[in-house]
Amino acid sequence: MPKFDCVVIGAGNGGLAAACKMALEGKKTLLIEKHNLPGGCASSFRRGRFEFETALHELCEWGTEENPANCRKFVVDDYGVKLKGHIVPENFRVITTASDGKTPIDATLPCGVEAFTDAMEKYVPGCRKSIEDFFEIGQECLDAGNYSLSVNGNTDNKYMMEHFPNFLRVGSYPVNKVFKALKMPPLAQDIMNTYWGYLAVDADRLSYLQYSNMVNLYVRYGAWIPDKTSHELTTGMVERFREMGGTVWFNCTAEKILFGDDKAVSGVVTDRGTIETRHVICNANPSMVYATMVPEEVIPERMIKLANARKYSARMFVVYLGLDKSAEELGLKDYSIFMPETADSAKEYESGKRMETNLNMVSVCYNTVNPDFSPEGTCVISLTTTYMDDDWANVEEDDYVETKNRLAKRMIERFEQKLGVEITPYIEEIEVATPWTMCNFVNVPQGAAYGYELDGWDSMMARMRMMGSEYEVKGLRFVGAASIRGDGYNSAIFSGNTMAKMTLGDMRREEEA
Amino acid sequence: MAYVKIGLIGKLDMLKFKNITKVRENEIQASPATPLPKVLTTNEKAKKHHPAKQDVVIADIRQNGADAKTIVFKTPDGSRLALYRAGQYVSVSVPIGDTVTTRSYSLCSSPELAKKGEYHITVKRDDAGFVSPYIQDNWKVGQAVTISGPQGHLYYEPLRDAKKVIALAGGSGITPFMGMAYAIRDGHEDFDLTIIFGSRTAEGIVYKKELDEVCAACDKVHVVHVLSDEEKEGYEHGFITAELIKKYAGEGEYSIFMCGPQAMYNFLDGEIAKLGLRRKFVRREMFGAIKDPWNQPGYPAEAKGKKFKLKVIKYGEEFEVEALADEPLLVAIERAGISAPSRCRSGECGWCRSKLVSGKVFIPEKTDGRRAADVDYNYVHPCASFPLSDIVIEVSGSNI
Repeated sequence: MPKFDCVVIGAGNGGLAAACKMALEGKKTLLIEKHNLPGGCASSFRRGRFEFETALHELCEWGTEENPANCRKFVVDDYGVKLKGHIVPENFRVITTASDGKTPIDATLPCGVEAFTDAMEKYVPGCRKSIEDFFEIGQECLDAGNYSLSVNGNTDNKYMMEHFPNFLRVGSYPVNKVFKALKMPPLAQDIMNTYWGYLAVDADRLSYLQYSNMVNLYVRYGAWIPDKTSHELTTGMVERFREMGGTVWFNCTAEKILFGDDKAVSGVVTDRGTIETRHVICNANPSMVYATMVPEEVIPERMIKLANARKYSARMFVVYLGLDKSAEELGLKDYSIFMPETADSAKEYESGKRMETNLNMVSVCYNTVNPDFSPEGTCVISLTTTYMDDDWANVEEDDYVETKNRLAKRMIERFEQKLGVEITPYIEEIEVATPWTMCNFVNVPQGAAYGYELDGWDSMMARMRMMGSEYEVKGLRFVGAASIRGDGYNSAIFSGNTMAKMTLGDMRREEEA
Repeated sequence: MAYVKIGLIGKLDMLKFKNITKVRENEIQASPATPLPKVLTTNEKAKKHHPAKQDVVIADIRQNGADAKTIVFKTPDGSRLALYRAGQYVSVSVPIGDTVTTRSYSLCSSPELAKKGEYHITVKRDDAGFVSPYIQDNWKVGQAVTISGPQGHLYYEPLRDAKKVIALAGGSGITPFMGMAYAIRDGHEDFDLTIIFGSRTAEGIVYKKELDEVCAACDKVHVVHVLSDEEKEGYEHGFITAELIKKYAGEGEYSIFMCGPQAMYNFLDGEIAKLGLRRKFVRREMFGAIKDPWNQPGYPAEAKGKKFKLKVIKYGEEFEVEALADEPLLVAIERAGISAPSRCRSGECGWCRSKLVSGKVFIPEKTDGRRAADVDYNYVHPCASFPLSDIVIEVSGSNI
């Protein structure tokens, strides 16, 4: 039976980061992946003369060589992955109707604190002070997070109160409450809320800290995309993992995790044979793993309760379009455009539960940032929406194609109407991915690529503060969107690196014992 | 300096912050310990619609024209097979001696039959081939066969294609269009289909009777027979030319779908160029494995006919085998009895994607369906890669 120090199940961003970190620290590591290529959601596919990006809009927490953010530090500086990429100059454009139900919003926000603040003041005169406060407190929150990381979560109360008082004050509140406390004008709140969809919880419940961190990371460090889709990033990580001595098995499905008498992990059963190991880092969803891969008697009741307390988060629906006209010819200048029906995120969240009412969408035109993304005279656009409930369980196979095409058509037409640009006649390639597609390719529950909902009580901060008691099954830790920080490439990579570090700690303690 | 005050007294906010973990623990403890569901409806439905493999038995084998046989697959218990978009194919696992290989065959029956657990494929005999004579001579009614889920992209897409489709079919290339014709007849698809169908002689036309029947039953399906080796009344004569396409396409926008042998594609490329169509209106079924790499642009002539050493690494095991320059790596791997993944066998679908650890391969441009980053990191599709030196390759998976 082959024996490894650690087996990583699943080569999504989280699994890849964990595998790289373990290999970097000299551990004999096996990475298994049920698909024939890495990345999970973070991938690409070809149709005709196009290669489509499956998931990435823009990477958060990346930065530049001179000013790297954490995610880049892990992937490039630590693991040594060589990547080419493009900086996305704008944060976002948002086209919607304000929460008052009347005022139209069409705002484009650039990267960089000053430029962003100036633009906000232009759109909502008088909001400057509240936006400046938002960024100042935002920096404090980032600093507090970094301090917490530097002491492995064992923070000193006095130090925290002295250095990060605002962080502590806002820490337990949702976004809208803090925005109000900052005396941010309602229209400014509407625009500042735009990114809520990336965390898929409405601003009445979404943790302010989590949201502030994301917006600050985007605005301060800019956003970034790899030159050749997510597949460049994830294959790059696989290659570095191999070079550092790691072993990869593609087309290999983990079926069971084995346990010894001490209720600690002792191996993994796969369709390619059984592997001996004492440590598993798992990029699959814990609820599914507990239900189907782990014997009941080793799972503490608290873990089952935690799983039952949670809801699955956003279920993805994406329309991929390869057009036979360039972005320039079509007059498309923006990279990403958020087009919710209303800026009232609680309302939008509610209507996002059902197909008939879900009109929310984000468009990305890759060629505006990477002109060579597709052949000359063409461009690629993706239109993404998320479902806040399991409505795709109600679709029958006989109606599947008709259903997804009807919804895709509605999104295309809304894009055309909102931007005043015709794209339908230029569709050379189209593919529509639904929650079923996500189930099929990455086996996430209900197609929920975002893991568990980041509801107020279960936000990043709460998860991270409880990291020590988060995974009570000995030798088994989880990474990816369903892990400690929630969804997003940067969060998945962070979770992978962090769980690898904790596993390395377990290994050290075992050796000492 | 910014100062934010939310609660009445700022200090309470700090206490609240420290309480984050308590609040969460309370939520956890208040939750029931009921067993977690082992099955999720959405995931189950997705799996049924996109199965990795399907087990069927041969229910019937019918002679079809001079040298083709239609194989009827059924589920043993009459349960449904995955529904497909007419024009899609399945990859069929074919064990022959110690070798396990695959071939892809278009589904030529109506998607309606899939609901009753029935798929049809048509296998044309190619005496120079390895698999088709074997299937024709050895497959028996009652035999169990493993097939993939539906694959491929040659189907009508209303959001993309013209409402009028001109299908150009050569020989057994008629099969995806049979599927489309039935799908239109049975209300699964809604578009106008004119099939321009090239055969050698009137007698050798596969599916003649079925085509006549479906045309009679459905006014959206039309067939024009083109005979290359025979002049006969009621039939066009010669090859499928630009003129002929224009004659039957009539006025207005149309999409061309093609399926046939490589020689037909090579000829049609020139004819279709004359029509000045945008690329989006010209779609073709996959090329198949290229049989003459030495005739492809960029091929180093000195490699032709050579033999090389091929080391295959699979899940830690290593196999030393032989590879011929004139055959795709996948064939060498399969011939050695090593099970490796494959589906389209045309370089397109990427199912056989493998790491080229060392050595050089030739990949014909028209069957290079790799992702851009895979080119940089030396991943290849063995079904469309021809060895130019000794090779070490890492493969993973098995054939279906």
